Amino acid sequence: MTCALAVMVVVVFGGYVVAGALSEPAGPPVTVAGIVRVSPLSGWEVAERSAEPASVRLTRGSGNLDVMVFPFSGTPIQLAAEYVEQALRPQADRLEVSQRVQVVRAGNRSGIRIAYIGLFRGVQFQIEGTVTAVVSSSGRGVVFDGWAPAGLLQYVMGDLDTMIDTAAIR
Amino acid sequence: MRPMEASPGFRRGWGRQTSLFQFRRPAFWAYAIVVGGTGVFAVGAQSAFRQISPSGWALSWLLLAIYALPVFLAVYFLDLYEREPLSLVFGAVVWGAVAATTLAGIGNQGWGLVVARIGTPEFAARWTAALTAPFVEETLKAIGLVLLVLIATDEWDDVMDGFVYGAVCGLGFAVVEDVFYFVGVFGGSPAAVLAGFYVRVVSSGLYGHVLYTALSGMGLAYFVSLAGEVPIRRRVLVAGGLFLAAVAGHFLWDSPWLDLFPSRVEGLRDWLVIPVAAAVKGVPLLALTVVGVTLARRRERGWLESALRSEVERGTLSTVELGLLLDPTARRRSRRDVRARAGAGAARLLKRLQREQVNLAMIRTRVETEDDPDLERHRQYCRSLRDALMAVPGAVLWASSPQAR
Repeated sequence: MTCALAVMVVVVFGGYVVAGALSEPAGPPVTVAGIVRVSPLSGWEVAERSAEPASVRLTRGSGNLDVMVFPFSGTPIQLAAEYVEQALRPQADRLEVSQRVQVVRAGNRSGIRIAYIGLFRGVQFQIEGTVTAVVSSSGRGVVFDGWAPAGLLQYVMGDLDTMIDTAAIR
Repeated sequence: MRPMEASPGFRRGWGRQTSLFQFRRPAFWAYAIVVGGTGVFAVGAQSAFRQISPSGWALSWLLLAIYALPVFLAVYFLDLYEREPLSLVFGAVVWGAVAATTLAGIGNQGWGLVVARIGTPEFAARWTAALTAPFVEETLKAIGLVLLVLIATDEWDDVMDGFVYGAVCGLGFAVVEDVFYFVGVFGGSPAAVLAGFYVRVVSSGLYGHVLYTALSGMGLAYFVSLAGEVPIRRRVLVAGGLFLAAVAGHFLWDSPWLDLFPSRVEGLRDWLVIPVAAAVKGVPLLALTVVGVTLARRRERGWLESALRSEVERGTLSTVELGLLLDPTARRRSRRDVRARAGAGAARLLKRLQREQVNLAMIRTRVETEDDPDLERHRQYCRSLRDALMAVPGAVLWASSPQAR
């Protein structure tokens, strides 16, 4: 019986342990504007860097994480709303944003997260993503925009959560 | 006292009956704790579905009851001679419906993270279901069956018993999973529930969890019931092989291989393609299970014959009666004939006599001696039932062998 119960524990909880062990950072950390430092997990690569606004795009397959730093004084909710209206909506033919706001841990700070789905110009398929907004102690706005083609986001969400949670924000 | 002669194929203890509630067995308490703990989550999940769509949730359960009840009865009565104790049968249903579904939800998500970590999101989207659910769900259902073996080992005395426990465990799992799909995936509106019922039950209901767990159960029963008769290596091979067949069947079902299901249902043609697509993936495993059940029933028939052969020699029943007991179709036909010739009362009496003759075989396998008081009492009872039947005008032709007369 002990053997059967041990197998049950491994089957039910083993996946989380293995996934945790596989979620080790690989390669050097990526710093954005000297404010936020993200450690990409294995398989994630820097695809783009930009100076204005200071940002970096990490990709793995069709999963993406945009990390941006803006001058900002306000609350994380205001930062997320401003990002949606000024960065996402102008590029979208259709955009739906969740009413539900989730409080999450981002690095050493607490932030908020909202979800969106939309059809963006120049892209043939729907994009689904989450915006995590944090205000740094030095008064800068940090946005993590994790996105993927609709239906695929759930398969990169584990990686996105880990990278956002382990980011260092100054 | 005359010791019971061990005729070839005789199965000692075949007719024993044990309940689920074996309070002195640690396995019972392990079963109870896991079912109790997961039950809290299972009730919470159903409550959430009810809040999402009260009408869709109620319709889901109604439709699934219409499906599950006949399947349950068919599985239960497929075991022709030694019906399993209902407490154990319901114990298997509850494990599948409550413990296995709840734990599988947690396990599938965890192993899904591993697949997503190893492959790209595109790979994960195509393969997560196939690489997680067959292993997680089949293992968890099989663990429930193992606990039932440890609770009531005596009840696992034939491959057919494993089929019954496995199939009803799978049925419990399938019903709760279907409610999740109808409300959580198809949308939960009454129209969406009906669409889900067509896809998952009408088109695919023959091939899913009932079959997978029936195979695992047959393997486990083979391993347990033939201890001492078949070398352990062979028993491990058969039990492991049938479990792997269940996992493989489930894997094929969840994988993108042989996937003829329409990606979008837009017209009548698409609706008609769905049962065909389901059959392509499900029929091979169904065929394997049918073969397994046929072999198991043949084996049970052999045991019944061995148990009653000496009763024929004693004159407790005739060769004609034994022949009828061994052939379910002939058994039914004999009752129809008696009904036509001697009326419904005589047919009922014959049915009762046949049931008691099967019980006589069960008692023979339980007792140690040929002249055990229980056995002798039951012989007398069978004789008195037959005498009563013979006294009905028109019924006498039914058993026209010299012994019966």
